[in-house]
Amino acid sequence: MSTFTPPRFYNSRKRTNFMAMAACYGATLFGLTWLVLILMTLVVNGLPGISLALFTEMTPPPNAQGGGLANAIVGSLMLTVMGVGIGAPIGLLAGTYMAEYGRHSQLTSVIRFINDILLSAPSIIIGLFVYGAVVVPMGKFSGYAGALALAVIVIPVVVRTTEDMLLLVPNPLREAASALGLPRSLVIRRVAYRAARAGLMTGLLLAIARVSGETAPLLFTVLNNQFWNVDMATSVANLPVTINNFINNPDPNWKQLAWAGALLITFTVLSLNIIARVVGSARNEK
Amino acid sequence: MTTTHQDPSTSASVSGQARPETISVKNLRFYYGDTLALKTISLPLYTNEVTAFIGPSGCGKSTLLRVLNRMYDLYPGQRAEGEVIFEGRNILNKNEDLNLLRSRIGMVFQKPTPFPMTIYDNIAFGIRLYENLSKAELDERIESALMKAALWNEVKDKLNANGLSLSGGQQQRLCIARSVAIGPEVILFDEPCSALDPISTAKIEELIDELKSDYTIAIVTHNMQQAARVSEYTAFMYLGELVEFGQTAQMFTSPQDQRTQDYITGRFG
Amino acid sequence: MSEHIVKSYDEDLMELSRKIAEMGGLTETMLAIAIKALVRGDTDLAQRVIETDVRLDVLEKDIEEKAILTIAKRQPLAVDLRMIVSSIRLAADLERIGDLSKNIAKRVVAINGQFAPQKIVSGVVHMSDLALDRMKRIIDAYIQRDVQAALDVWNHDEEIDHLYNSLFRELLTYMMEDPRNIGFCAHLLFCAKNIERIGDHATNIAETIHYLVTGKSILADRPRTEGAYKPLDPEDHI
Repeated sequence: MSTFTPPRFYNSRKRTNFMAMAACYGATLFGLTWLVLILMTLVVNGLPGISLALFTEMTPPPNAQGGGLANAIVGSLMLTVMGVGIGAPIGLLAGTYMAEYGRHSQLTSVIRFINDILLSAPSIIIGLFVYGAVVVPMGKFSGYAGALALAVIVIPVVVRTTEDMLLLVPNPLREAASALGLPRSLVIRRVAYRAARAGLMTGLLLAIARVSGETAPLLFTVLNNQFWNVDMATSVANLPVTINNFINNPDPNWKQLAWAGALLITFTVLSLNIIARVVGSARNEK
Repeated sequence: MTTTHQDPSTSASVSGQARPETISVKNLRFYYGDTLALKTISLPLYTNEVTAFIGPSGCGKSTLLRVLNRMYDLYPGQRAEGEVIFEGRNILNKNEDLNLLRSRIGMVFQKPTPFPMTIYDNIAFGIRLYENLSKAELDERIESALMKAALWNEVKDKLNANGLSLSGGQQQRLCIARSVAIGPEVILFDEPCSALDPISTAKIEELIDELKSDYTIAIVTHNMQQAARVSEYTAFMYLGELVEFGQTAQMFTSPQDQRTQDYITGRFG
Repeated sequence: MSEHIVKSYDEDLMELSRKIAEMGGLTETMLAIAIKALVRGDTDLAQRVIETDVRLDVLEKDIEEKAILTIAKRQPLAVDLRMIVSSIRLAADLERIGDLSKNIAKRVVAINGQFAPQKIVSGVVHMSDLALDRMKRIIDAYIQRDVQAALDVWNHDEEIDHLYNSLFRELLTYMMEDPRNIGFCAHLLFCAKNIERIGDHATNIAETIHYLVTGKSILADRPRTEGAYKPLDPEDHI
């Protein structure tokens, strides 16, 4: 039996392959390093601040001891829920139009283009826009304005994922539903949405993750509030702006609270992302 | 170019008179935008018979099938001219109620398309659209539809399982059951076995054979032997034309048109 | 006819055609030699015919196997299907023709040395000339796929039948004249009958060719002459 001798260039190809692989691993390691460092810094600085009081007590006045972030947490929750509550349905409907009714229309391409711009627009611009459009005419900062700004951020994310996920639903499935005599609206609601359900959920979770950490749009719209306030018509406390204010202050108590809040938000966003991934991959296993 | 229709004395020899037609296609022309995809087609779908459409890819056989239930209406820029007579009216009319039409003319697709819901709901879904049945009546209808699709014995213990959990062949039979359940007059099959293994294919063919006593059936297939096995009538289409239409037995032993001959014997360039 | 996309399919069909043609050639030769042996009383020649039949049987088996295998492999349709089915039928007919010629040769061996009235033998020769002509024409018709030529053969079967009938009467007369002639005459009678049967097989082949080319069977009943004496039709060889 004769042994196979690979051609001369085979070895050089192997070397090139090895170097490319090494470069890839190196780049991945580089990226991961920063992520790990950020998470470690957060955990190291934030963990001592995590306590029950964080969730139950109001933000303390300057130079006091103790206190928590309860008002900011509740405020952030309210803003996020309201922002997603306004943005998600609009995004869902727009995305549905683009994928189902207007798939072949010119309008869809235009919407998609504008939506992509909106998707990548700096959030501070959106904050400024809502400031000009809502806060200035109303004459005061308000939770509603903040929720609106968040909604504007949510919409393009949901539009994008809705359209993408609906486009992934195989066309024969729609045809099959239509072939049973289903009206278009039922085909979409009962079949297309159902088939894309996991994907749509993923989009929603990603949108929530995206807005729950936004600071810039809130600075110009809700501002912040040191006190317990659930009236959305006025300024409400919220985590991102509170962190922003507290971290810039020399008061060590505030600094500690800011780190704890940052840890809280980061892990909320991280877990939302992970849940989104899990939900998304569960769909693929079908 | 003309269509070779077999000598009527042989094609109608069974009864000696014209056979009843469930669907009559007359001078049908179909356009994708500006492209003429079907060039003046005329042919019948005889009642309770299986008619097979054969021809090379792009010949227009699937297009023809999708005209019969106005499936093309889902897409812009596609239009049909001529007449397709079904239940006494031209279904190509603008004011035809498409949802109602499609409940009368069912369709089964190339790839199995179970809906992402339970086996039970897959079938109940279509029924509930048109009828208000009690739970017991619905159960009965679903059982009978699954029986007709020769699937009942395989799924009766797992009606609440997801339709997607079935095998490819079972999924396809589920789709047939789904069509059958709403009680159509005609069932259109668009290459129903092209994604299935030989055993599943045999089961579907057997099923088509049984279904034809209750329904008028049209089937598009790339498998010549399948057309020969399941159909009574065959239409050979080429480049948007109906080249030859006639009894299957004759089409596959002594076709009249040279192009038919070349295609079915594997001589096409 | 244009070629198949799959070339080996064409080769399969061509091999069948070639073997049928070979069988046709062999059967023609066998009949011609058998008759020559009969006229000359040459048992060596007769022996050659009997040996040739083995080759014919092998060919028939080959064709049958090839045809079945081709059906299994290619699922032939239309003209190809008819071609393959026809091969099986033609092979069977040709094999029977071979058997009948062999039977004549065996009779030549059996009647070896007996008195042969030249007049009667020449009647048989005349019949065989007609039969040979038909066979030649029908095999040509097959090779050319010529329906008209096949129909020609099919329409002119009665000549041989007529000849057979008159020969039959003549032989009866001989046998009645002198009982010593009976053995020999009976053999000759069977030879004539064999030739008549060969003519019938040629007619079958004509029908097969018609089906092969047109896809239809010959609908009209074959012209039959009244005197084809049926009771003499038992399994008459050997």
